[in-house]
Amino acid sequence: MLAFLQGVSDWLYLLLNGLSGRSWLLDSLIALPVDNPLVKAGPIGAAFVYAWHSGRDEAEAKRRRAILLVTVGSLILVLTATKTIGQSVFLPRPFVHSQTAWHLSDGKLVESPVLPYRGPQEGSAKARHEDLARGEIAENDLSSFPSDHAGFFVALALGIFLACGPAGAAALGWTLVAVLLPRIITGMHSPLDIAGGGAIGAVILLGTQWLARRHWPARMVEPLSAWTLRHGAIAAALLFLVAFEATNALENVRDLAGTAGDIVGGITGA
Amino acid sequence: MKHSMTLAAAFLLAGCQLDREALVLPVESGWKVEVAAGPADGFASPDGLMWRDGELLVADEGGSAVRVWTPGSRPRTLADQRAGLASPEDLATDAEGNLYFSDDTRGGIWRTDGKGGVTTVAAAARGLPSTEAIAMAPSGELLAGDALGHRVMKVARDGRVSVFLGPERGISKPESLAFDSGGNLYIADNQDDVLYLLTRDGKLHRTLAGQPGFSPESLHYAQGALFITDSRHGKLFRYTPEDGLQVIALFGGALRNVQGVTSDGRGTFYVSVQSDLKAQKGYILRLYRKTGSA
Repeated sequence: MLAFLQGVSDWLYLLLNGLSGRSWLLDSLIALPVDNPLVKAGPIGAAFVYAWHSGRDEAEAKRRRAILLVTVGSLILVLTATKTIGQSVFLPRPFVHSQTAWHLSDGKLVESPVLPYRGPQEGSAKARHEDLARGEIAENDLSSFPSDHAGFFVALALGIFLACGPAGAAALGWTLVAVLLPRIITGMHSPLDIAGGGAIGAVILLGTQWLARRHWPARMVEPLSAWTLRHGAIAAALLFLVAFEATNALENVRDLAGTAGDIVGGITGA
Repeated sequence: MKHSMTLAAAFLLAGCQLDREALVLPVESGWKVEVAAGPADGFASPDGLMWRDGELLVADEGGSAVRVWTPGSRPRTLADQRAGLASPEDLATDAEGNLYFSDDTRGGIWRTDGKGGVTTVAAAARGLPSTEAIAMAPSGELLAGDALGHRVMKVARDGRVSVFLGPERGISKPESLAFDSGGNLYIADNQDDVLYLLTRDGKLHRTLAGQPGFSPESLHYAQGALFITDSRHGKLFRYTPEDGLQVIALFGGALRNVQGVTSDGRGTFYVSVQSDLKAQKGYILRLYRKTGSA
């Protein structure tokens, strides 16, 4: 089963990466959602806002907002899970495997199979490939499994789908076309990285939604959802911040947390 | 929910099975790399390396020992904790066959005759509290880099210690020293990420400074070039004034923390890796070209 999944992943990767490097225009279009946050996640953020404000009546709006609030909470768990697993699984990105390399296996260095790679003519993936040829490699290019982008955006889009079907279907479609496929085409992730990240995102999202409906979080989420209906202006302002940050995969929040950690470390001398 | 859990578990297991643990990626074509020795061969977590007459001298920091190893055999311990060693770092030899080494925990400069005798040439209290780099100068005097004193000291064979490069010269942590064929001294500072060059006229140059992705750990001069390991970025470099800095190989995962480097003079290079110093896990890697020259 596991060998089958890996075989399917390799086959699909070679098929999709085969689209890369054939035309400057196509490479530029594929690079756009990889490198431009607005193109990558703007439509998903818009779908989130649409779902937030949709609902035929107050009860429906309250239910949808509760789902979306839980979705935002689950995103933190998803990122924590994908980052934690990523740190314990050392697996370089597919484009790194296009070079002759040796990996450690049972205390011996074994020559790794070289994975064919078609480099794009445009975008950050092209720059990373050129950097590698010069001997420069980014830390996160050495741990590609699971894809945190896949985990994050699958969870977000699935949450929107649970709240509002049409908006969620659009978000899921955009996630597949603009977030996930370009990452495989440009050699940033294998289909298995994407499937692993997406599965983590889906399971955590569904798990937190189930918990929030049936267990103690419901006591917090439902009043919070009702509060957003009573205080529309403040809720809209907060929604802007949440949607803005959600479409940046919480990158700014993570940077802020890192800075805060540095400050605390500096003060305490840790 | 149950099906999605099963599917997620299958994807996770499949992904985890692909864990490569570590990677060595030669950037220059034609290089081959293999594990020369590892924990199963009697090394704990090696640091400084030196090739001498067909043998590899190893400062086994994790094992608190200095060992000598002939490829294909078990290493022989020349000095260890019984002689007071804690963290042997770097090595130097003289023409009489004595082996000198530094110890960044105990400090001082130590000597072994290779037959079991271990003596302290200069104690830590004599201005050498945390010795890192050590090199034999063409004049026959030892130079020792001290991390806590931020200076390079000169140690005579009789144990007299004097300041060679004081803290006013701006070197934060002289981690490694290497002379080139012209008698100029290269100094690696892995705290400020600077490669210094002290020319024979006494001028100290910041040869490589502020270069992204460069933090020199150990130096080894061979075949007209300086070979440099970088433990922070997992790299082995070659440097010449003419060609500048070039990456030979990248090291990732459990092999990222590259430490010492030496060569056998025939194009084969040895690099030590501290995978986990506390767990006493490390490797000595052998890199060579099919043509046999670097």
